[in-house]
Amino acid sequence: MANTESSGSSRWFGEEGARTARLMMYILLAVVLMSMDQRGHYVAKIRSTVQVAFEPVFFLVGWPASALRTLSEQFSSRQTLIADNRQLQQQLLKTAAAVQTQAALGQENQRLRHLLQATHGRAYTFLFAEMIRVDLDPFSHKVWIDRGAKEGVFAGQAVIDGLGIVGQVEDVMGNSSSVRLISDPDHALPVQINRTGLRTVAYGTGKTDLLLLPNVPLQADVSPGDMIVTSGLGDRFPPGFPVGEVEQVQRDGGETFARVYVRPFAALDRGREVLLIERVTKVEPVPAPVEEP
Amino acid sequence: MNTSRESRSVMLLTIVAAMLLSLLPLPEILVPLKPYWVALVIIYWSLETGGMINLGMAFLVGLGLDILSGSLMGMHALSLVVMVFLVQRFRYRLRFFPPWQQALSVLGLLVNDRIILIWITALLGEPMPTWQYWLPPLISIAIWPWLFLLLDSLRARARR
Repeated sequence: MANTESSGSSRWFGEEGARTARLMMYILLAVVLMSMDQRGHYVAKIRSTVQVAFEPVFFLVGWPASALRTLSEQFSSRQTLIADNRQLQQQLLKTAAAVQTQAALGQENQRLRHLLQATHGRAYTFLFAEMIRVDLDPFSHKVWIDRGAKEGVFAGQAVIDGLGIVGQVEDVMGNSSSVRLISDPDHALPVQINRTGLRTVAYGTGKTDLLLLPNVPLQADVSPGDMIVTSGLGDRFPPGFPVGEVEQVQRDGGETFARVYVRPFAALDRGREVLLIERVTKVEPVPAPVEEP
Repeated sequence: MNTSRESRSVMLLTIVAAMLLSLLPLPEILVPLKPYWVALVIIYWSLETGGMINLGMAFLVGLGLDILSGSLMGMHALSLVVMVFLVQRFRYRLRFFPPWQQALSVLGLLVNDRIILIWITALLGEPMPTWQYWLPPLISIAIWPWLFLLLDSLRARARR
């Protein structure tokens, strides 16, 4: 069969050679594109712009799944609803109790800060968001949520769920945005060990149930079970949010640093609902009540 | 020619449908089993019509898939270009294979494609995938005969 697209090149290379030459050209092009995407930002910019244009497509494709979900919610039985409701009530009661003590603690903290003339405390407001899809590429740790620029989402915004840090917003579109998970091998999260206050950086490993702290000194006081929280350095993630729990500490005398493995709290591979930390407001310290002598 | 234009539009439609199908959100359990729809459709068309899919087109389709699925730009483009090249290279032999042998060679193409992808991810320094990574070619091959018949009938209808 005559190849319609080969015009001039086949004269020199022959039919087969021309095709191989074209293959080589396309492979080269693909490799250049991939390395540009990996290293630089131009391709990523172009990609995110094009993705904005494709937002309706994603909506269209996601429609059957969301319709199915609505249907199953419609038809879920009375018993499950009652059980769910009861469980939620209990949970609410527990959290309400916790919040009560928290409020008192917060007041106390503010008073102490005032006494010490320390900086202001912080208060957060959250924006609720739902995951609409997970990126198909199993190697990219990225999910999409149903909030975008219209709701005031911005790139770099911290994303948490009920248990811990999930990731940060990467690309923002009109009605949706993408979130880079903390398990991405390219993601670094400034953290500290809650018990000792040791500051370090948590890197993703590519597995959703494991983070790595590669820069912990050998003699540092770290042991399995220690809680890791965000340190707030780097101004992206607010301080004090739980990240995970130390699972394993490898101390090899031949190396400079211990390798500390952390199991993240957040349901990176299961959760569907997340919270965006919307705004950090400074809380004025409450003056301590003046005690009469 | 009119018939070729019609079958060309059928081809484009099926490719777009395959792309949408691969974007379809699935329950968590089914995700690792998702067949490589676009590759199957592209293999069919380049096997059956030869000249209608050229390398440039495979490249463009791959880029589109990269944009939609959020993978590294050029990854699917590379994979589809290599696939179309191999099909074109061995087309005359593949076409006269009995169906089961043809299915086996499609499996070979898909496994080869997985090897290329694993090579790229290794270069990127990503962790090695689990054994589930090798499931989609097997699922795809189970779907292949049915897809083949479906696309054949679509093409015949367009020609009529």
